[in-house]
Amino acid sequence: MKYDIKKLAHDFWYGKPHEERRLGDLYIDKTGLYKHREWRGVKDTMYYFYNIWLYNYIHMVADVMKYGGVINFAKGVWRYRWVGQTYLPVLHWFDRGMEGMRGEALKASAWHYRGMVNATITQFMRMFSADTKLHGGKKNDLYYHTMACKETVWGGMFYPWTADGDFQYVPLEMIPYFVTCHVNSHTVHNYIDAVQSIGLPGDPCPMCQAEAGLYVLDDMPDYSPYLITCNEACDGSVGTAILQDWFSNKPLFALGMPMLFDDPLVKKNCMNEIEQCWKFVEEQTGVPFNWDNMVKGITRQNEITEFEFEKWEVAAKTDYYPVNGVAQALYRIYSSQYGDLEIWHFCDKKVRKILDKCVRNKINSFPKTRHRVIAWSCAPLYYSNWCTWAYNCWGLNVIINMDSLMFAMTIRTDSYEHCLEDCAQYHMWAPMRRMAVGGLHHIFELWDNMEKFNCDMVMMYDQLQCKGMQGVHGLFEDEFRERNIHAIWMPHALPDSRTVSRMEIRRLINDYMTTVMHEEPLDPTLVEFDDSMIW
Amino acid sequence: MKAKILKALIAAFGVNAALFAVFFFDLDGKLLFYVVEPFLKKHYDNMERKDMTKTPYDINTPKYEYNV
Repeated sequence: MKYDIKKLAHDFWYGKPHEERRLGDLYIDKTGLYKHREWRGVKDTMYYFYNIWLYNYIHMVADVMKYGGVINFAKGVWRYRWVGQTYLPVLHWFDRGMEGMRGEALKASAWHYRGMVNATITQFMRMFSADTKLHGGKKNDLYYHTMACKETVWGGMFYPWTADGDFQYVPLEMIPYFVTCHVNSHTVHNYIDAVQSIGLPGDPCPMCQAEAGLYVLDDMPDYSPYLITCNEACDGSVGTAILQDWFSNKPLFALGMPMLFDDPLVKKNCMNEIEQCWKFVEEQTGVPFNWDNMVKGITRQNEITEFEFEKWEVAAKTDYYPVNGVAQALYRIYSSQYGDLEIWHFCDKKVRKILDKCVRNKINSFPKTRHRVIAWSCAPLYYSNWCTWAYNCWGLNVIINMDSLMFAMTIRTDSYEHCLEDCAQYHMWAPMRRMAVGGLHHIFELWDNMEKFNCDMVMMYDQLQCKGMQGVHGLFEDEFRERNIHAIWMPHALPDSRTVSRMEIRRLINDYMTTVMHEEPLDPTLVEFDDSMIW
Repeated sequence: MKAKILKALIAAFGVNAALFAVFFFDLDGKLLFYVVEPFLKKHYDNMERKDMTKTPYDINTPKYEYNV
């Protein structure tokens, strides 16, 4: 066998060209582990090693120390499956999202991941520090200063108490359920099976099943004296809240979310419900609503939102956007749903520098883009990194997705009334509501956004157990045909990877790309591989 | 002094090389996948858990009497 020394040296220094990478050859069959991690050229491999892999391991330890200490962490890992089984392999979550990325795309996407890791550790460490189950039943000071709400309640609602650091908002399921599915998709199966074991049929939304299953398995920390629930996204969540009410046995406020939120009278009702919720928090904490804190929190959150708008401008109008599809989607939904945190500002500052550099120097971070894709409806949580695979394999570049666009608004702070009105709007534009089950006008916001973001293809998520979105399947089919839009349907069961496997999802995309688009894969080793046991 | 610096440099290089080997050959992933996760799963599967279905139904009745 003859070797071209010059080419070998070039590939060593700069990394192989996209078409020669053969990323699929790196996997150990079934597990998704790597025989060895990808060689991206000297500069990018060293960046990944020092600035992503090592940096994040070190900062994860530092975060644990900072937010509650190693002892609380160890107790939590030993007690709760969702943290021990899920969050230890977090660097593999980075690997899956960052496969094939180079240069500015690698850097910008990794900063988004770092933000999410810090936000996750902040929350579970607060849970453990306040948890009566880890402290012999003792209700410590942190217990009385932590607010527990359903994950679909926007954290900004509680800035009057949290913005000065006196209280901390920790959603009930965001860390034990939502984030786990992305990092290690196996964990959640235990909770889905647990709730079905007490009689729940298998076909309701698996998100709601998993959230309730956490309680059935007694795997939910007891870190707050009260809880606030919500009917978002659907009646499945109402069912979850009923079980949570039963198992928690604590004072509970059910914050309603209207179905038809465009009606001004309904909005007024929603504003009233939010005020009732604030009153409930005042009664439970003994601390009155603090308007200055509200302004402080909202102002900081608006800064994050305004930067997001700038990012969208670049993504929509140029080829110089350096953030990959999965980093864009997860960071945006996480930060807009949780609300303000110091880490978002830190990471945004880093990303702004990279973004400015890309625009200034006209750097195209995704040069193999064949199609600009918009992803619509709710994504498969166990395969959120499909976008990374789709770019590497087919040149499908996911520019934007529905969940990113949900909370596209800043909130006024010039008066209490305006602020309350905007809070109600924000609350009603929640994930899985505005553009998923929020009425015909909103689900069809797809067409405007497709044009705005200059996309030529739709990845249409098809959550098989969402009765709302299943009901409008045919409408989309008709519209895609009418408008002559290339759309690929991606069936999935939100967190449950057992219903439609990742392999099956890839097969559907492969079929469309070959039979309809008549295209050849950029990397043939990624077309078919078995990762059935992957995290 | 020079020898100490040299020793420190060699040690730093050694640590770097070892960490890079762990990184490049995905040894952290393999350890977690084949050893840590199975061990923890076994622990969680065998944990004694409270039977939550024994929680009584007669719970706090909320009083929704807010005048805002």
